[in-house]
Amino acid sequence: MTDAAEGAKRPLIEGAASRRPTGLLLVAIPVFLVGWLVIWPIINAIGRTLWRPDASGTMGFDLSSYVFFFSDQYSINNLTITLWTTLMCAILLLVICLPIALYLRFSHGRLPAYVQALAIFPMFVPSIILAYAFIRVLGPNGMVDILLNSVGLPKIRTPYLTPWGPVIGLVWDNIPLTVLILLSGLGNVANHAIEAARDVGANRLQVFWHIILPRISNSLLVAISFAVLGIFSSFTLPYLLGPAAPEMMGPFMNRTFREVNDPLNAITQAVITFGFCIAFGLFYVRSVARNQGQ
Amino acid sequence: MSVLKISEVSKIFAGPTVAVDKFSLDVADGELVCLLGPSGSGKSTLLRMIGGFERPTSGLITIDGEDITHQPPEKRPTGMVFQSHALWTHMNVFKNLAFGLKLRRLPASEIKQRVEAVLELVGLAGYGGRGVNQLSGGQQQRVALARSLVLEPKILLLDEPFASLDQHLRERLREEVRDIQQRLKITTLFVTHGQDEALAMADRIVVMRDGRTEQVDRPDIIYREPQTPFVAGFIGTMNLVEGEVSNGHFKRAGFAVDMPIADGPAVLAVRPEALDLTAAEPGTARVHRVTDYGTHGLVDLDLRDGTRLKSMVAHPDLFKPGQGVDLRPQAVSAYRDNQRAYRS
Repeated sequence: MTDAAEGAKRPLIEGAASRRPTGLLLVAIPVFLVGWLVIWPIINAIGRTLWRPDASGTMGFDLSSYVFFFSDQYSINNLTITLWTTLMCAILLLVICLPIALYLRFSHGRLPAYVQALAIFPMFVPSIILAYAFIRVLGPNGMVDILLNSVGLPKIRTPYLTPWGPVIGLVWDNIPLTVLILLSGLGNVANHAIEAARDVGANRLQVFWHIILPRISNSLLVAISFAVLGIFSSFTLPYLLGPAAPEMMGPFMNRTFREVNDPLNAITQAVITFGFCIAFGLFYVRSVARNQGQ
Repeated sequence: MSVLKISEVSKIFAGPTVAVDKFSLDVADGELVCLLGPSGSGKSTLLRMIGGFERPTSGLITIDGEDITHQPPEKRPTGMVFQSHALWTHMNVFKNLAFGLKLRRLPASEIKQRVEAVLELVGLAGYGGRGVNQLSGGQQQRVALARSLVLEPKILLLDEPFASLDQHLRERLREEVRDIQQRLKITTLFVTHGQDEALAMADRIVVMRDGRTEQVDRPDIIYREPQTPFVAGFIGTMNLVEGEVSNGHFKRAGFAVDMPIADGPAVLAVRPEALDLTAAEPGTARVHRVTDYGTHGLVDLDLRDGTRLKSMVAHPDLFKPGQGVDLRPQAVSAYRDNQRAYRS
């Protein structure tokens, strides 16, 4: 029998049955780790906040920690400031990153390359360094204050330790990823599609609104979902730059657990935070699925 | 009813690269002119300058006497069909066609009527609700054409619109486009590097090379009376043989042709269909290969110095590789200093 004939008889891929154990082994470790370090803690946390002993020590279904959270004005304020910070960051990220991405997509030459490097730079700066840089520049007696003072102008009203502190820090921190995702989406908008729109009479704004925006809607959703997921559960920047009260959910959980020594309410806060993140996550999954569908 | 006038238009890109060099052309009302040339000859750049997508470095472009040289694309009375179709995939066929009309704030009833009429014109009646990704390449190209036509542009610009289609579809579509163009009497500029397309469709052909015009003429004249060796070699198949003229004879490796021009170097041009063969031993040339195309045959010949020529024959079975033949050119041209010096 010739080699070609043998090749024709032999399947290109070895039998599925013989491959199955190897394939399962390859995925077993990551699946186990995800189950152990992610899924189990989630189930455990939900179980521990919903299935608790009563005064007599009998285990039963109990919503009291959630009732407490949603009836406690301080907790509500913290959740509200977290949602507000997330919303502000999302809006600011769009307002800042979309023009940058548009500029990078439709410009050529050396300057856009520098702008891109500058936009990506925050990715390489650790959050804690960023926070202290922020304090040294915009904080009380920071560089801006010193400069203003040197020319006889009054000090700025510093955003440090106000709700705007974490907003500024988180926006800075999330610019690179948002720009990269938007740039990738804009890369899928063909130049000819834009030229064809201009050819039929669309001005630049109409091209953006009717052609570019619908074509990058999925990228926008993905970028915002990613940013929101990170911002909602962020800790370092809100902890270092934000006010003592109200505080974002990250520092709130940490303080409830470590300083107040109240693990049950800390876990309840974590489950509620997880609930919001899951909602944003579903938003992301939906946009990805729609993207793949197209 | 529009006239396009291009006067001394140049485009120099950074580098500097001269893409279009002082190009001038008048396109008459209702005329279809093909810009034909190899890649990099500047034809697409020229079309993009007319469409407003490139700014000329110098020169003037007018439509019906109105200077449009520096107008943005959205203000120009031109419609462009792109090679890649450039359809908007997030809109269905109807919305693709209606988009330009909506920007002009036409009433919905008029938009519907005009879109349906143009879909009928391009043979896609009833396709309005389809997604553009559901259409074949040929249908997508028709939608792209319809999108331009629905706006009733004064000048239609076609940038290699059939380049991404297969040969069969290309031939069918070019006939359809020509029919539509003649029916609407719309002034059209068509860019192609396919000589068949240009010869089949154009009222006039502009052969471009290095951003300049080599020759502007009717297709039959371009084919029969090329003015430069480049045009002679670019349009159709042409045997171009460099040689010497002395005492009224062009000579190259034993191949001689009467040529009553001054002595000196010259390039002889003879079409394969104008080069007759007769069997002879040893003969002026030797048969290298015979290809039978069914309707005719093509014989590859080698002169004594190895110069390769082609001859079209009615009966290819009469010739065999290695056989000696004499050459009898029926119609020849000769070029000297990049100009035609002789035509028999």
